[in-house]
Amino acid sequence: MLSPVLLIAIPLGFSFLAPLLKKGAKYIPPIAMLFNLILSILLVPQVMRKPIIVLLGGGWPPPFCINLVASPLGILLALLISLVGFLVSIYAIAYIKEGATEKYHTLYLLLLTGATGIVLTGDIFNLFVFFEILCISSYALVAYNGDKHGLESAVKYLIQGSIGSSFILIGIALLYGLFGTLNMADIANNISYHSLQSPTLYVALAFFITGFGVEGAIFPLNAWLPDAHSSAPSTISAILSGIAIKTGVYAIARVTYTLFSAKGFMIFIATIGIITLLIGEMSALGQKKDIKRMLAYSSIGQIGLIIFAFGIATYYGIFGALFQLVNHALAKSLLFLASGYMIYRVGSKELSAFEGLGKKMPLSSLVFTIGAFSLIGLPPFAGFMSKISIISAGIKANNTALFVFVIIVLFATIIEGCYFFRVVQNLYFKKSRDPAHNCVRDGCPTTQKSEMPISALIPIIILALLIVAIGIYPRLVTGIIESAAIGLMDKVGYIHQILGIF
Amino acid sequence: MILITILLIAFGGAFVTYLAGKISGKLRNILAVLVSLALVVLISLIYRREISREYYTLPFLNLKLILMSNPLSWFFAIIIAGIGLLSILYSLEYMKDKERLDYYYFTLLFINASMLGTVISGDLLSFFIFWEIMSWSTYLLISYKGGKAIAAGLKYIIMSIIGSLAMLLVIISLYSRYGTMEISAIASYMQTASIGYTLFILITSSLSFVIINAFWPLHTWLPDAHAEAVSPFSSVLSAVLVRKGIYGLYLFMYVILGLNILNKLHVGFISFSSVLCGIGAVTIVFAAFTALVQEDSKRILAWSTVGQGGYMLLGIVFATASGMTGGMFHVLNHCIYIALLFFVAGAIEHRTGGIRNINELGGLIKRMPVTFIAALVGISGLIGIPLTNGFVSKWLIYKTLILGNHPFLAFAAFVGTWGTVLYGYKFIHNIFLGQLPEKYKHIKEAPLLMQLPMILLTVTVILFGVLPGIPLRVISAIQRQVALPPLQTTLFGIPKEAGELNMINVLFAILISCFIVWLLFRRAAKSVPVQQDDSYAAGSYVPKEKYHYTVNFYNPLSKMITPYLRDVASLFYLNIARGTQRVCNIIRRVYVGEVGYYAMYIVLFLAFLIFIQMFF
Repeated sequence: MLSPVLLIAIPLGFSFLAPLLKKGAKYIPPIAMLFNLILSILLVPQVMRKPIIVLLGGGWPPPFCINLVASPLGILLALLISLVGFLVSIYAIAYIKEGATEKYHTLYLLLLTGATGIVLTGDIFNLFVFFEILCISSYALVAYNGDKHGLESAVKYLIQGSIGSSFILIGIALLYGLFGTLNMADIANNISYHSLQSPTLYVALAFFITGFGVEGAIFPLNAWLPDAHSSAPSTISAILSGIAIKTGVYAIARVTYTLFSAKGFMIFIATIGIITLLIGEMSALGQKKDIKRMLAYSSIGQIGLIIFAFGIATYYGIFGALFQLVNHALAKSLLFLASGYMIYRVGSKELSAFEGLGKKMPLSSLVFTIGAFSLIGLPPFAGFMSKISIISAGIKANNTALFVFVIIVLFATIIEGCYFFRVVQNLYFKKSRDPAHNCVRDGCPTTQKSEMPISALIPIIILALLIVAIGIYPRLVTGIIESAAIGLMDKVGYIHQILGIF
Repeated sequence: MILITILLIAFGGAFVTYLAGKISGKLRNILAVLVSLALVVLISLIYRREISREYYTLPFLNLKLILMSNPLSWFFAIIIAGIGLLSILYSLEYMKDKERLDYYYFTLLFINASMLGTVISGDLLSFFIFWEIMSWSTYLLISYKGGKAIAAGLKYIIMSIIGSLAMLLVIISLYSRYGTMEISAIASYMQTASIGYTLFILITSSLSFVIINAFWPLHTWLPDAHAEAVSPFSSVLSAVLVRKGIYGLYLFMYVILGLNILNKLHVGFISFSSVLCGIGAVTIVFAAFTALVQEDSKRILAWSTVGQGGYMLLGIVFATASGMTGGMFHVLNHCIYIALLFFVAGAIEHRTGGIRNINELGGLIKRMPVTFIAALVGISGLIGIPLTNGFVSKWLIYKTLILGNHPFLAFAAFVGTWGTVLYGYKFIHNIFLGQLPEKYKHIKEAPLLMQLPMILLTVTVILFGVLPGIPLRVISAIQRQVALPPLQTTLFGIPKEAGELNMINVLFAILISCFIVWLLFRRAAKSVPVQQDDSYAAGSYVPKEKYHYTVNFYNPLSKMITPYLRDVASLFYLNIARGTQRVCNIIRRVYVGEVGYYAMYIVLFLAFLIFIQMFF
């Protein structure tokens, strides 16, 4: 019996297995995530027909128990989490060598458990719990390198994340006080059918958006992100950028669409998105030295784009947002992973150290370029398809403000092009500097070519192939994204499915 | 089916060539030639065939992507394939000892494939997709050489992204309004669109075409990019890629909008066409004089590419039979002779070890006679001397300007040609005439494989100059396609009814006068061969070292014009770029690094949200 519960239970169970196996711990995450990947692929056809609802806790019908909702949206994100999680964990086999590796793998699996839980749960407090699992494990993982920068940024992240979490908790408390229920469908039902218009409700929404916004990295709540992403190990940067902040965005979308259905509020969300986009991209252009920090700023920008697309509040907008979410997860984890070994090889995060790497690490440079092109939105890569769908959604909405926003999106794309092409030309067209400059770590390559180990290369090549495949044949993913978008729009259907009323 | 085959061969061939390069260099070279030859053959096969075929459906936008061929696309496709083949042939020898050749051939074939894609697209989305692929792959080859080419490439790609995003805005806006992207369907919808919307479409889309065709003031990427790219690719850039701008303008102005709508777009005496005319005229004059003061052989040619674009624009904005024909014919002619001239510059570079500064050269006529003939014919074509192809197209354009009562534009065109004469002569003189420097005493003629494309193009320049009827026939078909009056043509030119031009008469007149001159000289005293040094020094002592200096050619004129030639546009963009950088750096400081501020941000944001929700 295929049950979505396993998607959460397996990584959770395996994560506690990792400390027991000292040496074999690094193989635990790939096994768990491979299982999740296969399971979620198998669940897709079933879920596309009818969402699966799993009741936990004594078999009481909702709203009196905790339930999991494997809707197309949930499964799409679970699939994405397990895919990226699986590939990153394979990469980590060779990459994570120093330090307390078994703790790393445990925390890594916990992080993914949290992320999967967030997208599958149907209960707001349960969502909060999974959120805390995700956040706490990511605080610890950011500090994994154990150096000064890592610890400092982890503490900063911890402080900001805790403020965010407490805000979420306040929001939940306010809702519970109003309705006496924690089931999301039930709350949504209460809000829309009892047409309560109390200021408490607005305040709760504000608390939710701020709280989730911290993890979802919207401006100005995202100050932890550049620090955390740049000082974490590259695998963790990839997961944070690819998965963790996406769960924040998912939570915002869930709260605004399903819980509150705040239609009038959406243009405001779009504005926040645009500001985030602009600030993120401009900061990335301003960041000329540290490549990981540049990628982190670019993640902020992309999150802004996704949030803007959610804020368009039409079916096409949500479709574009989810599509962009998928593509960004693939491309950005690819970029972080590719830059991980590059940084390791040249021994520096400085952009100028990357000069001439195209010759030494041809495959890594090639996939890095593919990822960068996809993020800029150049055809025939995946990013083009999602960007064009967002832009067409923005123009189709027939709203002057949104039209102006679309032009800002295009402007941000130019900035994106500037800083990504700056990296690409460093990789390919600049001659590499004095080899002594490039070699500060020991184990420095003596041969001309020093490609990454094969176990690290395979995951990023798979990511690159996926990006090209989606770019050329978008039908690979558009089917499930379409039904996910319909599912997110259809609040009545969601309530109906879970509560079984009407 | 044939169109899909063309695309598959073009793109697939590029990949196969790349892989073949991993096995052996020879196999790769043969494949590259075969692929580009196959494209020329296949495209010749679709001459005069109108095909339209769906090849893909984009799921989420619910769009059918279409390939089509018509006279306009055939005209450009054959140019792309032809120049592509010649540049590949030329590269075989030119690129022989360079590094990363697999990459080079792959990218060159890939660019050709994407350019073919843009012209045979039947809908705007595929047009845009191929256009974007063309943009980034071109970037990869412009920067190929490293060094100065890196900055040139970055400049190009940023301007090109700006242009293509403007185009994206247009096509998405058209799509959301009409629900289709098929060119013919949009053309019929646009007939009823409001003037404001039409202007928005026209101006925004023109932005990308003006950038790619390097019209003033958006020309700044071109001189650097063309000069710094490897020579075979410079000729592709100059001959074909840049002219995608003309293709795009033609597509939007005449295929999609049509003359009726264009005529409506005016406020008083300012109309869309008159603005374009002004841009064209400024481009011609500015570029001609800037080319005059250049010392770098490829930079001279690059600036001439900018300037000649202006003539094409002046031709096609006047929708008269002769103007349109002249403009389109000039596209073809310019493509032939500029490719030839870049091949010449490349051959010189190849033999002299990368010298591009023409002041260091001289006297190469003795060592490289074939290259000299090619350069002479190419420059003659560029100037527009009778019996070369450039004459016919320029003649048509001048005629349009004069008969249409545009004295200022005609004057600009003439001034441009005078400038062309000056820098054309400078190009030939400084490279081929004068004293041969000691170190070049023993250089050889360009290799045969490099001569072959040059000879072919030289012959074509003369052929189309004497028999302009061959290409003019294809161009008339384009005019018929967009329902504009075609120019009547004969094999030797234009019949009497349409304003006579008969090149065969011109040919005979010239031959006869040559014959008379020859007779006169035969009657005169017998000629005595004199050493060049003797005639130069009038019999006195000739120093062994360099005695013939060619620096500061046209010095008084250069001194006069240089102050006016400051590239204001370029400086302006540079300042914008710097300003943006600075602003970005300031923006980045939002992330101060103090966690106390960050906590404050969070709380302020919450307060702001609550405030917003309370009051709105």
